[in-house]
Amino acid sequence: MKRLHDLEPGTRAVVLEVEGDLALKKRLLGMGLTKGVELRVVRNAPLKDPMEIEIRGYNLSIRKSEAKNVIVEVRD
Amino acid sequence: MIRVALAGNPNVGKSVIFNALTGAKQKVGNWPGVTVEKKEGICEYKGIKMQIVDLPGIYSLTATSIDEKIARDYILNEKPDVVVDIVDASNIERNLYLTLQLIEMEANIVVALNKMDLARVKGYKINVRRLSMELGVPVVPMVAIKNEGIEELKQAIVYASKNPKKPLIRYNDGVERAISSVQRKVIENSILPEYPSRFVAIKLLELDEDILRKAGISEEVVKGWIS
Repeated sequence: MKRLHDLEPGTRAVVLEVEGDLALKKRLLGMGLTKGVELRVVRNAPLKDPMEIEIRGYNLSIRKSEAKNVIVEVRD
Repeated sequence: MIRVALAGNPNVGKSVIFNALTGAKQKVGNWPGVTVEKKEGICEYKGIKMQIVDLPGIYSLTATSIDEKIARDYILNEKPDVVVDIVDASNIERNLYLTLQLIEMEANIVVALNKMDLARVKGYKINVRRLSMELGVPVVPMVAIKNEGIEELKQAIVYASKNPKKPLIRYNDGVERAISSVQRKVIENSILPEYPSRFVAIKLLELDEDILRKAGISEEVVKGWIS
């Protein structure tokens, strides 16, 4: 079990759970980070924050502090 | 006059469609009390007049940003005859989230499935008729920048205004039970009677701050209803 902010570019993973307070959780779920969805880490910004992921056919930029709340399982 | 609102995610071609529908007959102002631009215009189709209001581009209707709140309040309070939900076919999965939220608000929607050319380039094959069946609302495929589908959209708006569709989005049994118990309380206590009761019940279950505040009830009360 890993958290999204720990993943390196190129890694594929599946979302297991989203944590955090209700407002953050709703925002992440609203962006499509729901249980079971597959994602791929595209790259990190120059200072490693935010990170860019590909999800549901689009690219999403997400702060590391928020990505920390997304629990994932790495797929190889 | 048919009252129409345009909704959709940012960058779906909403302005292009607004301009194509209204031509030169536009009025630009701002939404009351905020500096968010409000565009209105008139569209005519076979002698039938439509008033078109352009809502801010939004990803969802959770009322967490001012743009989302404007769009949500407009649809709930002004109850436009038709809401045109502009969907980017080349980014369809993400866009359909807003579509489902609009259906849940019991807005009478027509889906304008725009950027069909880009979707094709991406290799997507979209079965428009099936999508319309699954959603329970009309879907008009378009390439708005090439003016493809504009007349069909106008026709669909006129038709939808006379034949409103309010499909139900069903959740699993557990969620449906919770919705039913809250909905019963919503009806019994006349909570926000001007809004659809199932929508209010779902938003209360989500502990949506805006709806809790408008209803004047606390999180604890809602939690009590479902325990």
